[in-house]
Amino acid sequence: MTQAPVTRMEERLYRIYMEFFEKAERERRWSVFDDIPWDKVNKECSDELALCAETFASVEMYLPDYVAGGINVVRPWFGRAWWQANWGYEESKHSLGLGEWLMRSGKRTKDQWFDHYNTISQKQWEAPFQTARQMTCYGAVQEQATFVIYVKHRDFAKREGDEALYTLYDYIARDEIAHTRFYQEVVTALLEEDREGTLADLAKVFAEFKMPGVDLVPDYDERILQMRDQGGVDRDLFIRKVYLPVLKYLNISRHEMLAAQRKALQDRKDAREVAAE
Amino acid sequence: MTDKQDLLGLFKTVAERVDRRSFETVTRDSVITDLGVDSLSMMQIVGEMETELSIQIPDEDLVEIVTVGDLCSKVERRVA
Repeated sequence: MTQAPVTRMEERLYRIYMEFFEKAERERRWSVFDDIPWDKVNKECSDELALCAETFASVEMYLPDYVAGGINVVRPWFGRAWWQANWGYEESKHSLGLGEWLMRSGKRTKDQWFDHYNTISQKQWEAPFQTARQMTCYGAVQEQATFVIYVKHRDFAKREGDEALYTLYDYIARDEIAHTRFYQEVVTALLEEDREGTLADLAKVFAEFKMPGVDLVPDYDERILQMRDQGGVDRDLFIRKVYLPVLKYLNISRHEMLAAQRKALQDRKDAREVAAE
Repeated sequence: MTDKQDLLGLFKTVAERVDRRSFETVTRDSVITDLGVDSLSMMQIVGEMETELSIQIPDEDLVEIVTVGDLCSKVERRVA
């Protein structure tokens, strides 16, 4: 039986994943049951805190779609396919932890929690980009944005005197930044392999970027206004805490991105004009 | 040296090129987000102006820009 040789890229992606996995196993694992101070839930906290936690949970609850969409795109790459499986495990704890908080705080009953999942599951998330490289770029941007928003809401939980939710958000934020770094390491490898093509994909992702819950989570627009108000998420946050840090980490200058972005923004404009006709 | 009027004109020209619509009524007091320019297009406009004038505005200065005048002031400081 002949075997296809392992490519240098495959080997590198496997190594990136193993480094990520080793660090996760040794330093970052946490338990929904043992590591959250559930006795320090503030049952007098505001309804806004609960709504924001439920919104986070809602986005996380499309996990079956994220895993199915992601793992099929990267299936041929050992490191990335295993990454998807591990990523799914870590993300599953986020929605379960948030659900536990909603019920233990008395803000939602078990029936309401299950009803909410049933509503969520009526719609299906679809991958916003078509290729593995574009989805990797999307992961690098989306996970960074998610990290930033969880950190903002961790502060909100602290202001509300809820140590349980504060701790939960803290663990989730740590997971999200670790995921960001994994994606960014993979994008770095892809840039070395094909800088022009990868820059074009990253520019496309920035131009067409939207968070995964848009058009899916019930009452999304109202929820997102609350998320912004309560978390202190202002309009330039994306540039300040996502766009510029991602470029910096990837060692891409603004002007190098400018050239790639020019075409992506024109394409976006064309698409919007066609849609408006 | 580029005067204030030139910079406002340059902003309008570049914004029209990036966003493909008229920015004729824009003044230095106009708040950029009120013009319907999203943050990514804004980065593009800044980058195009930097390229035209062969200057580089530090990243940390970019996040302080709220109005067209703020952007013009940052540019003025670099070209003066």
